[in-house]
This record gives sequence, C-alpha cells and structure tokens, in this order.
Amino acid sequence: MSGKEDFSDKSTDPAVLQMLEKAKKNNITTVWDRYEAMKPQCGFGDTGLCCRHCLQGPCRIDPFGEGPKEGICGATADIMVARGLDRAIAAGTAAHSGHAKHLAHTLLKVAKGEVKDYSIKETGKLKSVATRLNIPVTGRSDNDIAKDVANAALADFHEKDTPVLWAATVVTPARAKTLGDLGLVPKGIDHEISEIMHRTLYGVDADPVNLLLAGLRCGVADLAGCYMGTDLADILFGIPQPKATTANMGVLKANAVNIAVHGHNPVLSDVLVTLAPKANAKAVAAGASEINIVGICCTGNEIMMRHGIASCTHSVSQEMAIVTGALDAMVVDYQCIMPSVVSVAECFTTPVITTMDLCKITNSKHIEFTEEKAAEKAGEIFNIAIESFKRRKNKTVDIPDIRSNVVAGFSVEAIVAALSKLDEKDPLKPLVDNIKSGNIRGVCLFAGCNNVKVAQDKNFITMARILLKNNVLVIATGCGAGALMRHGFMDPLNVDNLCGDGLKAVLTAIGEANGLGGPLPPVLHVGSCVDNSRAVALAVAVANYLGVDTDKLPVVASAAEAVSEKAVSIGTYSVAAGLPTHVGVMIPVTGSALVTQILTEKIKDITGGYFIVDLDPESAAQKLLAAIDERRAGLGL
Amino acid sequence: MTTPKEIFVKIDRCMGCHSCELACAVEHSESKSLYSAISEHPVPKKRIYVEWTAPDSRMPILCRHCEDAPCLHACISGAITRTEDGVVLTDADKCIGCWTCVMVCPYGVIGRHIEEHKAYRCDRCPDKDIPACVTACPTHALVYDTVENYSGNIRKKVSKELAAGLGG
Amino acid sequence: MTAKQTRYVIIGASAAGMAAANAIRELDSSGIITVLSMEKEMPYFRPMIPFLISGKKSESDIALVGNGPYKGKDINICTGARVTFVDTKNKIVSASNSKNISYDKLLIASGSSSFIPPEIEGTNSQGVFALRTLSDAKKIADLTAKTRQVVMAGGGMLNLKTAFALLERGLEVILVVYSGQVLSQLMEADDAKLIRKALNIAGLKIITGCGVKKIISGNNGVKGVMLSNGKQIEAEMVLIGKGVSPNIDFLDKSSIRIDRGVVADEYTATNIPDVYAAGDVAESFDLLSGKKIISGLWTNAAEMGRCAGRNMAGRHTRYLGSAGILNATQVADVPFVSMGIVHTKGTDYETHVTETQTTYKKLVFSSDSKYLVGALFVGDIKRAGLYRFIIREKKNIDNIKSQLINHKLHYGHFLQ
Repeated sequence: MSGKEDFSDKSTDPAVLQMLEKAKKNNITTVWDRYEAMKPQCGFGDTGLCCRHCLQGPCRIDPFGEGPKEGICGATADIMVARGLDRAIAAGTAAHSGHAKHLAHTLLKVAKGEVKDYSIKETGKLKSVATRLNIPVTGRSDNDIAKDVANAALADFHEKDTPVLWAATVVTPARAKTLGDLGLVPKGIDHEISEIMHRTLYGVDADPVNLLLAGLRCGVADLAGCYMGTDLADILFGIPQPKATTANMGVLKANAVNIAVHGHNPVLSDVLVTLAPKANAKAVAAGASEINIVGICCTGNEIMMRHGIASCTHSVSQEMAIVTGALDAMVVDYQCIMPSVVSVAECFTTPVITTMDLCKITNSKHIEFTEEKAAEKAGEIFNIAIESFKRRKNKTVDIPDIRSNVVAGFSVEAIVAALSKLDEKDPLKPLVDNIKSGNIRGVCLFAGCNNVKVAQDKNFITMARILLKNNVLVIATGCGAGALMRHGFMDPLNVDNLCGDGLKAVLTAIGEANGLGGPLPPVLHVGSCVDNSRAVALAVAVANYLGVDTDKLPVVASAAEAVSEKAVSIGTYSVAAGLPTHVGVMIPVTGSALVTQILTEKIKDITGGYFIVDLDPESAAQKLLAAIDERRAGLGL
Repeated sequence: MTTPKEIFVKIDRCMGCHSCELACAVEHSESKSLYSAISEHPVPKKRIYVEWTAPDSRMPILCRHCEDAPCLHACISGAITRTEDGVVLTDADKCIGCWTCVMVCPYGVIGRHIEEHKAYRCDRCPDKDIPACVTACPTHALVYDTVENYSGNIRKKVSKELAAGLGG
Repeated sequence: MTAKQTRYVIIGASAAGMAAANAIRELDSSGIITVLSMEKEMPYFRPMIPFLISGKKSESDIALVGNGPYKGKDINICTGARVTFVDTKNKIVSASNSKNISYDKLLIASGSSSFIPPEIEGTNSQGVFALRTLSDAKKIADLTAKTRQVVMAGGGMLNLKTAFALLERGLEVILVVYSGQVLSQLMEADDAKLIRKALNIAGLKIITGCGVKKIISGNNGVKGVMLSNGKQIEAEMVLIGKGVSPNIDFLDKSSIRIDRGVVADEYTATNIPDVYAAGDVAESFDLLSGKKIISGLWTNAAEMGRCAGRNMAGRHTRYLGSAGILNATQVADVPFVSMGIVHTKGTDYETHVTETQTTYKKLVFSSDSKYLVGALFVGDIKRAGLYRFIIREKKNIDNIKSQLINHKLHYGHFLQ
C-alpha cells in the first residue's frame, strides 16, 4: 500500500505541500518535524506558570493545586503570568523600536547628505508628519525638515518634556484623554521597554493589575514604534499605491537569479530593489534572464506595497522557498528569520546572507550592510547571488507552478484617494455611508504570523471566508496578508465568489470609479506588520469623522495564527485602541484566572477593547461578527 | 493473551519537570484538555508523584500494580481487583474510604480523594494505548514495555559494556 | 495415573477462610476446596456491615465472592454448617447440616464472636445487640424505624462506625465509655483530640467515666439503661461493643492445642500435622514484640489466611506476624491510621508529635532510636503505607530518621 504522506495538517498552501514532499524525500528537517519532536510541550510554559527571572528558580506553580502555589519569592500565579506577558510585550515593542530607530537614523543621514543611495521620496508626507509634530515647515528645505523629524523620532525613544509624540498625536483626542487619565501614555518607547524589564525583575512589581497596566502602556509605545516605522518608510521610500503583482512560489523563475529578501526593514530591501537593474547586465552575462527579487515575510510586503515585487512565501513556510532549489540567495536583516534556514540552505546551493550585526547566524555569509555603503554592499550581494546561480543553472529545480494574482498597496492615502473618486470633497463619506447602510457591516484587520500549531493559513482563510460573505470589509497586514494573498483573497476576480452582496457592491463601485474596470480585491493589503499603524490611522480617521472614539467603531482585529512576541505587543495596542482583538492560538495566560479574565473581559471597562481567545476559526469568526454587531448597535446602526 | 506492559522508570533521566504529573491530572479530568482541566471542580488529581531526594535525585513514583498487591488483599470492601491485563484497580463505587490500602501500600502511591472520600491510584489510562505520563515525559524517563523486553534491552546494553570492558 | 486431588477443608468463610481458599486455588487448580460457614449468608465483607445499618450499602454490595481478590473458581461454600467436632486422628470434620467431611488439609478459621460482659444485667432482651454478623446488622437496620435513641457500650472502632451509621439514620446516639476516651485500644487520650472534635461535630454524645450496669426492658424490648453511677438513660436499642473472643468451643475435645486461641506457629501450623489456624481464632505473635496476641482485624486475618492457604497448598510461607495495632478508617471526615505501638505513656519509647489545627501525627521510635515501632496519623494519612513497611520490616532508620520526623519521607528514599 503506497504511503503517500498526508501533510494537510501542516499547511493548506499547495505549493508548500509540494515542497514538504520534496523535503521528506530528501530527509530535510523542517519546522514541522521539530514541532513534532518537541511534543508534548511543557504544560507549565503553556499556562504561563513557569518563571526563570532569578537564580533562585526555576519555579513552577502547579495549576492543579497539589504542588507549589507560589514561586520561591512568593509570586502567585497571577503575578507570574502577568510578568511573563509584560516581558513578551516589551520584546515585541523592542523589535519595532529597533526597526523604527534604524529608519530614523537613515532619515537623519539623508538630511545630512551622508547617504547617496537614499533620498526623500515623499515631501508631502514629510511635511504632514512634521506638522503633526509641531515642526515648522513653511519656507524650509526638505533636509531641514527631515533633520527635525528624524531628531523628533529619535527623541521619542527616551524620556523628555513631551510624552511619546508618535503615540500622543496619532490617536483620537478622546483616546488621548482616556490614555492620559489611565496613565497609559508612554514616556519614551525604549523607556517603557526598560521599565518593564525593571518592573518584572525579581522583587519588583507584584501586583498583577499594576503589571498589566504597565504592559498596556508599553503596548501603546509599540503603536508609536510601528507608526514611526510606517511614516519614515513612506517618507524615504514612497507611499504605497495600488498595483497588481503575484504571490507564491511560482514567482521564482528557473532561469533567473532568484534573490529572496527576508526580514523586515525596507532600509535593506528597498535599496536592493532600486539597485537591482544595475546588476542585471552581470546576471545576463552569467546566463540568467534577469535578477528576480522576491519577498518573504514583512520586508517582502514592504517592497510589494511600494514596488509591486512578488511575494514568494511567508512565515512558517520560509524554509520551503529554499527547498525549491531555485533560490540563489536569501538575504536577511532581522526578525522572524528561523536559524534553520541555514541548515536547509546547506542541502542546496543557496547562500544565506545576513546583513545586520544584531542578526547573525552561524554558517551563513555575513555582509555588514551600512546605509553609507549601500550600493557597494548591494553589489556584493548581487555578485554572490549570481555566482550561486552559475552553480545551479544547469541543475533541475522544483518550482511549484502555483501563483495567485494580487492587488496590493492600500495605504490610508491610497484608500482615501480611491474613495475621493466617489466623493472628492468628502472622501470618507462614502465609506461611512456604506458602513451605516450595512453594505459594509464592519471592518476586520487580519494581522500576524503563521503558527506551526495550526495548518498553515487555515484559520485566516476560514475566518476571512465567513467575514467576507457577511459583508465585512477585510484588510490585512504582515503574514496574515501573506496567507490571504496566497489563496487568492487579493485577486479582484474572486470578489464574486468570496464577498457578500453589500461588500461586493462597494468594492465594485470604488474600483470602477478608479477606472479599474472591476472591483477592488476582496481583501485590501495594508502593508507590513509596522503598517498595522495604517489600520489604526484609518480607524482614527473614521472615528474622528464620526465624532466618536475608536472603541465605538465596528472594527475588529484578528491575529489568527500569531507567533512572534510582536504579535502580543500589537494585540496589546489594538486592545488599547479599543478594538475587540482575536487571537487564534493560546497565549500563556490561562494559569491565572485573574489575568485571563482581565484580558478578555475587565479590560473592556477601561479601554473599550478586549482579547478574544478562540482556537476554532469558525467560532472565532462568529464572535467577531457578534462584536461588530454590538458596536453597530452602539452607534444606532 | 498478550504479555502485560509495565511502566518502568529511568531515574537518571528524570528532569523533575513534573510534566508527567500534569499530563496524568489532565487525562483524569472531565475535559481532557489542559486549559479547561485547570478550572474544573473537583480538581483533577494526578496519580504519579515526582519526589526529590537530596542532593539532586528526582524520582517519579507511581503504582506498580504489584502481582501480589498488598492493597488487593487488605481491602475490606472488595473494591480492589486485578484485571486480566494485570492492572490493579480501585472501584470507586465499592470504595468506602477506609484507607486500609493507603496503610499497606509500601510505595505510598494511593491517594485520598478529598472531595469524594475515596481512594484513587494509577489506572494505567484505560482510554489510551500508552499511558499519559509516558507520552508526556520529554526525556523518555518513563518507559512502557513488557518486563521481558525491558530487561532484555538492559541485558543487551550491559553485555556490550562488559564485552568492551573485557577487551572484546 | 491421575494425580490425587487434595481435599482442603476450611472452617469459617470470612476473611481468613476465604483468603486461604483463594490462595490455595491460585496454587492448586485441581484440589477440592470446601469452606464451612456457620452463618446462613454467603461470605461478605464484615467491616462493611455498619453500612447496612446506615442504608448506604445493600447486602449484595458487600458480597465477597467474585469481588476484590476473591475470584478463585470452584470453591464449595456450605452455609449454615456449624462444625461440631474435629477428629484429627481420622481427619474428619463433623458439621451440623452436612455429613462428615474428610480432609487432607484442614484450616481452622472460625473467627470470633462478640464478647458480652457478664456483669451487665439484662443483655437477653430484645433490642440488645453486639454487632458482629450480617444477620445482626439486618436486625438492627430493621429496628431503627422504631428507635429514637441508642446507647452504645464501649468506644472501639466497630462501635464508632456503627454509631455513625445510626446517626446517619437520624437516631440519637449516646456512647458510654469507661476509659474516658474513644478508640483507647488504638491510641492515647491526647492522640484522639481531633477525633473527639469530629465526633462532637457529628452529633455523637459521649459519657465517660462509667459503664452500662443494667439494661431495662419492658414488653416491647429495651426501654433504657442504668449506668454504673446510677443515672438512667432512655433507649430503645443497646449496642454492646466490648471486644470479641475466639470461637473455640467445638475444639474442646480435639487434641489441637489452644491457649487463648488456637496456637499457630510461624507457618500458621497448629500442633497437629495438616491442621492450620488463621484469623481471629488463631493466637499468633506480635511482629514487634514477639509476644503472643490475638488480632481482631480484617487485614491481619486476610493476610494470615492467605499465608495459611499457601502453606496448605505446599508452599512454605512464613507469616511475619500480626501488627497488633493496624487500623485505618475515617471518623466523620477525619481519616486516621494507627499502627504498631502507639501507647507510650510511662514507657521509654521516643515519641515525636506534630500537630496542626487539622492534623495530628505521632511517631514512636524504639528507646535506642534504631527502629520505628509505631505511627499514628490523624487527618493527613499520606503515604502511611511507607511507615508500615518500615515498622514491619524493622528497617534501619539511621539515614531517614529526619525525613520521618518531618514527614518528608517518600519511596525515593528507599531507592538511594
């Protein structure tokens, strides 16, 4: 009896399934194999009842009450869980902080004329951001304004006279007041991270509610980091506009030099895209048709949104891109890069190139990328990739012939511009009118990652299907967008079979008004994970338009297959902004009934937002619909 | 009739992580899921005990399902029986909570269920092919095998060591 | 040539007798096993009979054959057969309702009967019981409907259990106990504090310092009792719990050696070849002191009976002796376990007591500190079996003494 292994519990992506079979045949260990080997996972970690914060530990609390009920220092289950959650929020915030800081430094260097490969692409946005920060713009050069904006950004990381401006100035006035009253306005992005580390140290904060409030504040600091990342990237690399492109492994080309950029910061990926044409001649000379840059994870989203670069794959299936054998380089900066990509790459001819000092991987090739030497470093990277292509060009590669059409690039500016074709003077009116009429029942943001514990993409596509059919406008970021784009949810041709009638009508109206000859895609790609701030900006704009706070809007969010601590911090700011926020995997808080109750119920009383933890996608979708309807009722709709 | 399997303990492999205790309690809960089990009433009870002896030994101790079980003979209500598979079971309906079994068990592995006033102990997870504790152990310190296989494997290992020591 | 089937005859179908029968069957699949019981019911778990009184268990619930370890096949049980004579020369047993039975191996496990102190007057009345048999329990259960108050004489374990059963049926119960404390056989006055508290909470009234002198009855049976201090109490039922004495009358004319009970050696054998004794009827020896004792406990009887059965089936098995005190039960919601030597007043045993609001633990060590000789746990009985093991095996406790005293002992300590 033939034993064709069934990988359908691992991924719903047909390209990934093909590569899983190849990996199995070639004895390549994948993330799924390592997950199996790790089972059963420790129940104490799972419930958040494990603490390693001091050398008197490690401590664990018995959830069944027979063993220790407190850590050695006396920390109860509530404290242990709250401290652990706070550290996750801090870690996520630190990631976006680093990303934004990197962009701020780059902008400053541009302003000082130190980096010739970078420039200010969006003067308008530079000025509007400056104005928001109370930086004068009239009669000043771009570089002068940019210097002030960059310094204001850098100042937001530490304490100063003003609170974090990228948080205080980006929410509704009512929200700013609520956050202010609760003491949740961060003093400095890195300051909040550092204070969490202090607070969760041995023998410091031992009040679970106090700990959670600090976590919330750090979450708001994360919003600032993300918002800053979006603003500065738009200024440096352009505001995304809608464009057609493709996704999935079929975007790899057997006779091209395939370079996958993986990680997060467009400081690296954008400049590679811009400088690639310079290396094309060399590629052709080596026998390739061209240099073919494809994206993995958020940095892939950044260059898709701005340049229409195709996305190869995302998140949990990152190793599978290498298994095609067709990658001539995987160039990475930081975050979400599995160290195992190096081991997988060693089975093929693919070099893994690390570029940042803070993210090196043993046995990879390191080319220290600096903004000052961007062109030179990019040249080195292209050379390595071309050499690698030469080695593999006559070998067979296994590129799954699977790709989906994608329309991406829906920044808030682009959305408003599209809406203005329906109503030039009052572009938000058509959006709000359709919400009021019920054509758009509500809005749902899908964000986050793919988690090995869930069959890849299953939660996203199950939930999106239900919500779209129920006329919920779906927007997406990060690998959530990645999941949906690979299954055709960003292909305008699928509006008919995916969307309810009301939603279909709206998407069609906007599409035709913009001369697309058809509807917008069913799901709007809003960007990378830092671009979750775009979703917040849109919500704030609509809230301000309606004269309410964001916690009254029929807007919900879902990290349906969350993995990274960044997802925890983003989820926190989503709740801080007042949104019902679904998480589709278990977060390590069930060991404390108090913390669980606060996160899922009590927090509603202070921010209006709350977490919905539901591992079943169909049940989760119903809960989100119910939350949307509750909000509609509150608005009298 | 197949040879019954026992749960053997490799003491030197035990990390003291207590995962076996968690898995045992979850398996003996209503909901059989960790997240729900921790809020059940009465609290699900583990039947395996990870004990510590100075300076650094960790010992998982559980019912040995003795062939000539002292508890079996001492029970004054006939609640303890030995099944064909060799599992010594306490019938909760017949148990009157007199604790004589607790008194005669030389391993101290019979527990007193406070809410139900009955004795309880390891039942070798009748609903599972492999007992929950064995599956849960991350270092494979718990081994579910027949006496013949287990001892046979030890003999194999030891004979290799002896042969090597003799210059073989 | 067919092997000859050994004929095993066992007098008494309770713990010792049935344990022996099953042990024999495990070792000898073809032997003929005949068990003679003077009770008319099929064998049952005697300690369970208070539950018949409370109504918690039915007769079938406490049946012995087929339950627990009593699953041996082809054991012939003759009920209502009172043995009248044992002819050890010709190896014949005579019983009341059956013809003479020949034996190859004989076990005397005739148990014990309640002791009714002769100094109490009026014990012949209707409504006076000394709870011992299933039949007694049924009669008591029947009478509870017409009973408002019960007086119990004697504070031993069986009486306490029965007291609770009656309280559960809604009767008033007064326990009259001379020694001033309950369970005096099993523990000392201080030890019983928590149990006294639990008994009070359960509603049991206790009168100490005197005994029942006379039972007063009328036409319908018991009306009340008079205590030794002259006080009178109304009652419709009197239960006497003053211990048991071995059933040895029928052995008067045999040559089996009898002291206080049938004398048995380390292999449960009597002075007559092929005749063994086990259970309440047998006089064995206390495992700690070596002194001769008679044990009235189910657990000991089962153990001794099993040992006897093995010896009868040809497997030489030493009986390690009875632990004179070996008791476990639950009084109200308070479990307790008592084993070995726990009466230490005026002795030179080393005792360690750990007390909390809800638990009481007493450990008794030999005067040279080398051995654990007794243990008493009230309220928290975790791992009591480990202590029994140490007492019984006379284990050297040098390495584990502090763990014992701090109650941190677990099986892992034995593996080191």
